[in-house]
Amino acid sequence: MRKTTARLVLLTQIAAALVALAGCDSRSSERSTDMIQVDIETSPTSTDPRFGTDATSSRINELIFDSLVKTDRNGEFVGHLADRIERPSATEIVFHLKHGVRFSDGRELTARDVVFTYDSILAPESMSPKRAGLEKLKSITAPDDYTIVMTTAQPYAPALELATEGIVPAGTPLPAKQSAAGPIGSGPFQMVDYARDEAIRLERNPYNPHSSNTAQSILLKIVPDPTVQALELAEGVCDFSGNYIEDDVLPWLAAHPSLKISKTPGTTYRYLSFNFRDPRLRDLRVRQAIAYSIDRNTIVNTMLRGAGRIATGLLSPENWAYDGNVTTYSYDPQKAGQLLDQAGYPAGRNGMRGLRFEFKTTPEGVRMGEVFQAMLQRVGIELTIRSLDFAAYYAEIQAGGFDLTSLQWVGINDPNSYYMIFDSKKIPPHGMNRSYYSNPTMDRLVEAGMSTVDLDARKKIYSQVQQLAADELPYVSLWWVDNVAVMNRRLEGFDAYPNGSFRSLATLTLSSPSGGEEPSQ
Amino acid sequence: MKNYLVRRLLALVPVALGVATLTFAIIHLVPGDPVIAMLGETAAPADIVGMRHQLGLDRPLPAQYVAYLGGLAIGDLGESISYRKPVSRLIAERFPATIELAAAGMLVAVLLAFPLGLIAGANPGGAGDLGAMGFAIVGISVPHIYLGPLLMILFSLDLRWLPLTGRGGIAHLVLPAITLGTALAAILARMLRQSLIRVRASDYMRTALSKGLSARAALVRHGLKNALTSVVTIIGLQMGALLSGTLIIEIIFSWPGIGRLLISAIGSRDYPVVQGCVLTFAMTYVVVNLATDLVYAIIDPRVRVS
Repeated sequence: MRKTTARLVLLTQIAAALVALAGCDSRSSERSTDMIQVDIETSPTSTDPRFGTDATSSRINELIFDSLVKTDRNGEFVGHLADRIERPSATEIVFHLKHGVRFSDGRELTARDVVFTYDSILAPESMSPKRAGLEKLKSITAPDDYTIVMTTAQPYAPALELATEGIVPAGTPLPAKQSAAGPIGSGPFQMVDYARDEAIRLERNPYNPHSSNTAQSILLKIVPDPTVQALELAEGVCDFSGNYIEDDVLPWLAAHPSLKISKTPGTTYRYLSFNFRDPRLRDLRVRQAIAYSIDRNTIVNTMLRGAGRIATGLLSPENWAYDGNVTTYSYDPQKAGQLLDQAGYPAGRNGMRGLRFEFKTTPEGVRMGEVFQAMLQRVGIELTIRSLDFAAYYAEIQAGGFDLTSLQWVGINDPNSYYMIFDSKKIPPHGMNRSYYSNPTMDRLVEAGMSTVDLDARKKIYSQVQQLAADELPYVSLWWVDNVAVMNRRLEGFDAYPNGSFRSLATLTLSSPSGGEEPSQ
Repeated sequence: MKNYLVRRLLALVPVALGVATLTFAIIHLVPGDPVIAMLGETAAPADIVGMRHQLGLDRPLPAQYVAYLGGLAIGDLGESISYRKPVSRLIAERFPATIELAAAGMLVAVLLAFPLGLIAGANPGGAGDLGAMGFAIVGISVPHIYLGPLLMILFSLDLRWLPLTGRGGIAHLVLPAITLGTALAAILARMLRQSLIRVRASDYMRTALSKGLSARAALVRHGLKNALTSVVTIIGLQMGALLSGTLIIEIIFSWPGIGRLLISAIGSRDYPVVQGCVLTFAMTYVVVNLATDLVYAIIDPRVRVS
């Protein structure tokens, strides 16, 4: 027995030693003070700006690559690589490039690189997912090293949207033949290391001017669990997390002395969508009744803990084309009941009206669906909830296999999005009109908005579009989601963009570290 | 022994074929389109058609299946639709992390289970037994998704001994391994306790006691080895649970293993990656069970592997 006891003691000692060793190891690699760690939820699908279309890729690529134009906080396009922009005709745009912009290897960025980038996106063999977004581009040429001419086949008002692709050096191979870190750019940072599903390390582009008290490197760590991101923020390991921390956890983080929370108005638009192939939902009175049944104020104040604004339409108040003077639907279950009576759905003895719809969603959307279910039940509409994994859900929505669903549009800049979403030519498989909504007046307006280059005339058109969408209710506008960023107090000067861009990480300044007590060794 | 090993290795072929067929069928039958997931719904129909053709998704399913098996026969798992990299390369990048985690989880399970099982089995009904079995019940009952963050709060946030997430040195491995191994430790401890109680009542134990050995010495020298056979079998069988447990652990601890690759591939309907990952998991499980059978024969000479 002594031997056994001795062995057990030995085992315990080994285990204790391992833990002790682990404790030492855990703190052996303290990071430098001019580095910030940003937690992100997924790996980017591509580190090449010609291919990455998901939000994570776009946000990271924005730190590495420059484009001809960028959007400002009002969704308007402003020159970035382009020093000056001219529109000599309704189908032609001329970009005059800044001189002296350099890639992170020291090469100067010229018009040749711009043309190469666009040509490689448009090449059929590249199979870039961004090719579809450039379908209006007829040609792109470089008359000299600092001039780019883009032409479109027809007058295309949002043509500057075509000029937002990140530029890579001429000769950059396709992703299959690249290193993990991907191509270089001329933006504030360069990618120096990329371990998929682990972390991405960015360091300053030495040829891009920057102040010495800004972050010299950024570690983008992939942390898929939002609770763990919150723990990392509280521990002081993570410096910044944007739009991923759950609302329930925010009060706990707010109480932490080393952290601060930035809550700013966002442009992400949450909506409830109908399937117009269902004759019951083609009846405007039914759609209006549903709109009057949703108590959006209560949802925003409780579920979202106030982190949202009641929406009037796709465009948020920050957008240059916004017009909030439209029909709105405040919570009014009595009015909803009257509309349903008029539509021929009187309430039975149990209060129900024989209207039964299926709400399709993802597992994350079930909670929201249950809220809608309870609210619609109050006016006698029965809602069943069916949850599918995102890929299956997306396929069902595209195929029109739903009655009601709720999704959100992220990164709406140009009002031409109305054309992409509500024009009858964009019904799947040709586009994103997943409601199968068709209205000749809407078609005429959104197509006019797309081809009218004059800004004032265009704004008037989109005022009509917003009013029509609010009257016709292809969507019930729910809310615009606020941007919520949690960050360490050592980060100063964070400038939140309504579209949730990470652009500000390049310019924020760093004060002395703040992460609570020093870790034990 | 050699013939047995060859036969078992040959048996891997039909198992691999079965797993490959089943995975291929399931992933192709569930709704979802990898081309739309990649190109987006604004893609031109011509691009969608072109991409389908490039990926071979426009061919009839039986033809795709035959092509997939043909690739498998020469060790080619295909190319990821999302990442545009060879699947074997993606798996090779992550497999060491998953194996490291699973092995550490198993080590934790064994290190915890053996002392607890011995204490409990040596004196059934005693205080040690009650304590050990209390731990076992808690260990089995607490799910990974709860235990992981709990350990993080205690050891990383409050005590600041260990890192929260990621893969690095031993430190990074401790919390994920404890989270993963605790439930298995509880199962093994209960199994060892039962086996010890059973062997204590056997004739050879009575003989050992009658020779003048103390109860504890008889248990350790003669009882433990016999009790181990069933425990080793359970270890092999539980390897599947351990591997599937890594899926959750990898998410909680941001561990860059195959589990996370598999989950994101399912989301984007990246068929080749899903098929490759499931096949890798299945083959690992089969190989571990083969190893278990061999160890079983070594522990108990009465068992002839042939």
